Amino acid sequence: MTEAQLIRQACEGNGPAVRTLYERYAPRVYAVVRRIAGDDDLAQDYSQEAWIRAIRALPTFRGDARFSTWLHRIAVNAALQALRKAETKDRRETSLPEAIAVRPNEGDALLEGLLERAMDQLPEGMRQVLILHDVEGYTHEEIGELLGVNPGTSKSQLFKARGKMRELLRPALAGGEDGQKGVEAWGI
Amino acid sequence: MGHLTTETLGRLVSEVPTAEESRHLDSCFFCRSELEAVREQTQAMGSLPDLRPPAGDWEALEARLAGEGLIRSSGPSLPSPRWWPTPWMQAAAAVVLFLGGAVLGPRLTGTGSVGEFAEGSGPPGIQLIPVGTQAQPVSSIADAADAVRLAEQHYIMTLLQYRQLLDAQGEPGAIGDPASRFAALEAIVAAGRAAVQQAPADPFVNGVLVGALAEREALLRTATATPGIGIF
Repeated sequence: MTEAQLIRQACEGNGPAVRTLYERYAPRVYAVVRRIAGDDDLAQDYSQEAWIRAIRALPTFRGDARFSTWLHRIAVNAALQALRKAETKDRRETSLPEAIAVRPNEGDALLEGLLERAMDQLPEGMRQVLILHDVEGYTHEEIGELLGVNPGTSKSQLFKARGKMRELLRPALAGGEDGQKGVEAWGI
Repeated sequence: MGHLTTETLGRLVSEVPTAEESRHLDSCFFCRSELEAVREQTQAMGSLPDLRPPAGDWEALEARLAGEGLIRSSGPSLPSPRWWPTPWMQAAAAVVLFLGGAVLGPRLTGTGSVGEFAEGSGPPGIQLIPVGTQAQPVSSIADAADAVRLAEQHYIMTLLQYRQLLDAQGEPGAIGDPASRFAALEAIVAAGRAAVQQAPADPFVNGVLVGALAEREALLRTATATPGIGIF
């Protein structure tokens, strides 16, 4: 069955078709939402909200863009809008020790774990720009539109975020005893 | 000019340095190393894998969708054809062959330090954890994913133990001369990157790249901090 057929059936309320789309794209949606939210509990709420919006808007999907791109944009918007509404800072700080969500096919590789934890520690603005640019591949112009800032601000936040990430990762990636302590301190 | 700030390094990942920054980078090994590290970190960010939603996520979503009248029937997902991406398999096979040679070679020729310590009999202060596990049959994708995750944790633990053992031996010769080692690590990193591009979600390939990057980072730091150790 082609994706177009699947989408058509999902539009008609066919549960198995919706579930097939979910199983195909849920890891992608959850990943971007989790990283923007910086919190496991919020991520589940936000990703479900994204899926509800997407299924609701499915009849408007014309196929001009790839379905995955269209869905991804809905997920990013859902997460950013939910974050704006929520008082997230305190919740995120208390949720830092919690485990990163399970990956679909692989374990918690050392560097991936360090990167995810370091991202969670970035200030919200920096984290959003870093994720959208360096993880998701958005341009500064697109980020500016999504976040309501100008592209120059997006660039500036990105450079600060990369530098901050380096400072956070340096102890854990350093070799020898210091590095070992760093790795242990990060719970890897 | 003092060392470049981390924010400047973050900028230089995607923008051209000024003449002054360029001159500084030419003369400062530390800043060159840091810039390379930020570049690698940025590249690694672009290769982060997708994340599986928590258990029960679909069931909760299905209930909400049904509650809003967005689905009118339920059931398992529709079958889709399975395929094996050939480049993945090729990349994985190449890395397996490489690592197989790296591990088996010293054992067969008796030249390496791997295996010199019997289980539980490491140097004082180092607790050796048995890591050689027999592969168990799995009956589902979830079981297989768990098995891979466990194996990778063992791999990381083994890597850390290996580093501890090398440090405990205190013999610089145990890891070869720094320049050769750096060149070897560079080759592994390059091969690992190529493999990750082919198989971005493959845990084994990612594990190899991560290990090589961490080792190269450690070597650069040692070379920076220790007079007399030159790798370029």
